[in-house]
Amino acid sequence: MAPLAVRGLIAVAAVATTVAAQASLPVVPAAERPEARASTLRFGRLATLGFDALVADYRWLQAVQVVGHERADLVAAAPALATLVEAVVELDPWVDHPYRFASVLLTHSRDQVVRANRVLERGIAYHPDDWRNRFYLSFNHFFYLNQAEDAARELERAVELPGSPRYLGRLLARLRSEGSGGLEAARTYLEELLRQNEDPWKQAEYEKALDEIETEQRARFLDQAREVFVKRNGRDIQSVEELTAGPSPVLRELPPDIHGWGWVIDEKTQQIVSAYYGRRYRVNLHPIDLERREQFSKQATGSEEGESR
Amino acid sequence: MSERRAVVSVEALSKQFQGGIGRRAKRALRDVTFSVREGEIFGFVGPNGAGKTTTLKILMGLIRADAGRATVLGHDVRETEFRRHVGFLPEAPYFYDYLTGREVLEFYARVCGVERARRRERVETLLEWVGLSHAGDARLRTYSKGMLQRVGIAQALVHDPQVVFLDEPMSGLDPIGRKEIRDLVVRLHAEGKTVFMNTHILSDVEMLCHRVAIIVQGEIRYEGDPHAMLEGEVRDTDVVLTGVAPALIESLDASVQGGLRGVGDRIELRVPHKAVGDLLGKALAAGAEVVSVSPRRATLESLFLTAVEQGGRQ
Amino acid sequence: MSGIERILAIAGNTVREAIRHRVLYTLVFFALALIGTGVLLASLSYVERERILQDVGFAAIRVFAVAIAIFVGIHLVHREVDRRTIFTILSKPIARSEFLLGKYFGLLVTLWLQIAVMGAGFVVISMLAGAPLEVAHAAALGLVAAEVAVVVSVALLFSAFTTPMLASLFTAGLWLIGHLSRDLRALGAQSESDVVRRATEAVYRVLPDLSAFDLTVHAARGLEIAASDVVMPLAYAFGYATLVLFAATWIFERRDFR
Repeated sequence: MAPLAVRGLIAVAAVATTVAAQASLPVVPAAERPEARASTLRFGRLATLGFDALVADYRWLQAVQVVGHERADLVAAAPALATLVEAVVELDPWVDHPYRFASVLLTHSRDQVVRANRVLERGIAYHPDDWRNRFYLSFNHFFYLNQAEDAARELERAVELPGSPRYLGRLLARLRSEGSGGLEAARTYLEELLRQNEDPWKQAEYEKALDEIETEQRARFLDQAREVFVKRNGRDIQSVEELTAGPSPVLRELPPDIHGWGWVIDEKTQQIVSAYYGRRYRVNLHPIDLERREQFSKQATGSEEGESR
Repeated sequence: MSERRAVVSVEALSKQFQGGIGRRAKRALRDVTFSVREGEIFGFVGPNGAGKTTTLKILMGLIRADAGRATVLGHDVRETEFRRHVGFLPEAPYFYDYLTGREVLEFYARVCGVERARRRERVETLLEWVGLSHAGDARLRTYSKGMLQRVGIAQALVHDPQVVFLDEPMSGLDPIGRKEIRDLVVRLHAEGKTVFMNTHILSDVEMLCHRVAIIVQGEIRYEGDPHAMLEGEVRDTDVVLTGVAPALIESLDASVQGGLRGVGDRIELRVPHKAVGDLLGKALAAGAEVVSVSPRRATLESLFLTAVEQGGRQ
Repeated sequence: MSGIERILAIAGNTVREAIRHRVLYTLVFFALALIGTGVLLASLSYVERERILQDVGFAAIRVFAVAIAIFVGIHLVHREVDRRTIFTILSKPIARSEFLLGKYFGLLVTLWLQIAVMGAGFVVISMLAGAPLEVAHAAALGLVAAEVAVVVSVALLFSAFTTPMLASLFTAGLWLIGHLSRDLRALGAQSESDVVRRATEAVYRVLPDLSAFDLTVHAARGLEIAASDVVMPLAYAFGYATLVLFAATWIFERRDFR
């Protein structure tokens, strides 16, 4: 049809177009960073023949059927669920719900929680603006793995993300207070948040949190006074007022309770608390949670021994 | 006629087909040379598998020759533009059977670059010409073989070419169909077109062709006047007689004697076609009984052999 | 410009042949049915149902578009040779390259019509299910059309010189490899050997990179699509298909039609 010269020109142009276009094809998906890897299923991926999303959906439906079964034994099914969810997020990292699905269901052993955390980390890499995955990750770090610092770090990022609920700041302050920096770290952090944030609702929350910290500091001061009282008198106080009573009181006067409700001894815990809050400032853990944390930490040392052998 | 210019010229054409793996290559054409002159009906004659269709496909640019040169209207057959003056009807043609006769001709007209304004008129003329006006809107899958052959001729003519190539145009048709195609060929000639026709049917050659070339096993054995060639065709008749008296045998003339075989009183005779009546008259008169009379039609092969013996190429 | 007229004539006839082909309607019907089953599958999940629905729909469109491209494409080309209609066409004043291009564009238009029909089914189902429909969905379908343009060129290349059976196998094989070429390259890139790395890189350059044409995940997830995510694959498809058609023409022009 066309003379040879024209053909040659078209061929050269086609080669140039192909090479140039291919060079700028987005070869590596945007979020494919090392921390985004849940599990490496490279060869499993070869078998999907380009239909990754569809296979991911299929795996997801399988996982849903396992959980949705009437007599589902979620403890026994957890390992299988972990595998399914790992496949889902490997093949289709842009899924949304399955990340949290994993963290809610994989709580029966330390290994499961570690796996769930890897899944959540991939979720964070692919949904960097979503506070929920970071929140769940923080939760796992604190409640199951007893890693307050890691928990605080994740939550700190979650707080900054759009749409995160107001209470996160206060929760974060509590987590901080349990870390190495103690109450001062939490206070500094909250003051910083207060300065940066212009949302009046959030500001109110942070101020409440600061009140809590102030109250806690005063309660701790009272704890010290109580110790002195016990040393001097050989017995514990009956009421907080005893600290200022008698001929040589431990304290000249009680520090005021911010809310004006006064200080009482909590009947259950026998701790000095502000009557306004009724409890001390810390992250509340149920005894069952504490027991599990203990159990998981044993699993951790066990597995480390196993690895070193 | 010999002063007319050559419309098709084939010089020393050779072609070998590669066999599959482990099979030997097949030599299809060896040093084929002939030419077709303007305005004539040219018969390219040979038995099946002799290389007729291969030659025609080389002329149509469907196959490439290994060696030699072929031109049509002065153009190398590998070019495409000159084909606007060339029409082609392949052997046992098949057309898009999901189209109607009219649609198929319009399609070919478009491929041939017939202008849009002239297309419809041209298609109607052709349908009329090949006698398919009534069937123009029927899909081709409802057509008979003869009708398809006529569509084939119409598509070969859609761009009003100067030369028309027909590959076995009469094969597979009933006697009426064959006559219709023969008439069309004659009309083409009358309109001044050069017709190149592949065939293995001698009677068609005899009736239509001004000149022929004979090809056997990929080689040209004869090129020239078909009538001169057909004169060499000895049409004999085998006659078998019983109860023949020796006197009768002696009375037969020498030419018959040569073809005589006898077993007892039964003899077989091979006589020229014209002498059969004479022979039978004599035999019956002499009291012989006629067992069978079977005319022998010359086979192409034998004819070609004769043609070669009689002087080969002219 | 009569060359273009001839190409259009062949293309038009190819479309007409395909449209009058019953198999095609069966395939499109199956594709639409499959898109519809997305509703059932999605109902098995309690979250992200729209996403699953659209994943299934997109997958059906991709599979059927490519399957039709391979099988109908090769079948229609082979039929011309097998039934000898090609003899009458090529004996006309038309270059073989024009015939091939005409077939190519005819097939392409046919397939694009199918993608449009399947896309319409997708849109209807999505609307009924209340799933989002954005520009990204159109872009994803557009790239499926581009992928098909590459696949058809490959199908033509193979049917220019081999049997329909083998041509189908080769094309289907190249399609599969084309979807894995990035993974193969990534595997090769991890190799210690310089030779292996260069070889896999070269193979990646030669094989079609068909995963570039998959924006369906982006569309169904509502991920952001940059202009270059669409423009570059289109340019790539255009260049690649042109080169393959060059090769196909080169072979086709040297072929004997016995």
